[in-house]
Amino acid sequence: MPDAVRGMVLTGAVRMSDSGHTRRRILTATGAIVAATTLAGCGLFDDEPEPAPAPDPLQPVLDEALALASAYDRAIQAQADLSERLTPLAADHRAHAAELATLIGAALPSGAAAAPPAAAPAAPSLAQLRESELAAQKTATAACLAAPAERAALVGSIAACRATHASALR
Amino acid sequence: MKEQLTAALAAEEAAIYAYGLIGVHLTQESEVKGARDSEQVHRQRRDYLVGQLANLKASAAPAPAGYQLPFAVTNRRSALKLAVHVEDGVTQAWRAVLPVTQNAQRAAALSAMTDSALRATSWRKESGTNPLTMAFPGRPS
Repeated sequence: MPDAVRGMVLTGAVRMSDSGHTRRRILTATGAIVAATTLAGCGLFDDEPEPAPAPDPLQPVLDEALALASAYDRAIQAQADLSERLTPLAADHRAHAAELATLIGAALPSGAAAAPPAAAPAAPSLAQLRESELAAQKTATAACLAAPAERAALVGSIAACRATHASALR
Repeated sequence: MKEQLTAALAAEEAAIYAYGLIGVHLTQESEVKGARDSEQVHRQRRDYLVGQLANLKASAAPAPAGYQLPFAVTNRRSALKLAVHVEDGVTQAWRAVLPVTQNAQRAAALSAMTDSALRATSWRKESGTNPLTMAFPGRPS
């Protein structure tokens, strides 16, 4: 008898003492539960499509890191003299994306992402970048508060970093 | 959690001490005010931590009367450098509180950590340091 079943029987036996059921009835009921479980476990419902796994709660934080990195790239391309100021900020976002991708097991777009495609949106202004950083800080802050302990410090650092970017753009 | 809160308290107390020293060497009015405001914020956080530790029935060791500075602070330049150093340290201490807290307590820790990272950035700006930011504020190097 597998342990799980033995456990159920013991539960039944305890209940028996105050409900007045006979041992036989308890054992029968337990047997029915085991049978139902077994049928389900045997793949009776295998026809049902596997539900798509829910995206990791940090996926939006990762998406924003990549979007911000390429927004900085476009700004630098449009105005080369911003390069010294903005390149370190873009690098921070790439560092975030790399760590998040490793953590959640997501694939990062290959190096081609660094070169914006032909249909890339217009280069953002510093004010627009600042606004995006503040919005991204909010996402990361909420993600940090919802995160399990082992993720809280990393996501907290990302939230704080985004805040400092917004401040650096002032 | 007690251990992390105690470390954060020690960092806040060190910051309060440091800002007293920093303020003396700053000359521009905006910087002097910045140091004074920062000291005030660190005092509020110290009080918050003392309260949190009291709730845990943990008594905090009294703050030391003096500190060994990481470098001599003799002028505006070294004073700004100390301000950056202190805020980086406070950011680190609060970051360690995140994994051991939840909900409102974690929100308070993240807010304190973000605030210190922002202060470090503005002191870097004042001192002309580049880059102004780091990818993972508070991560021990």
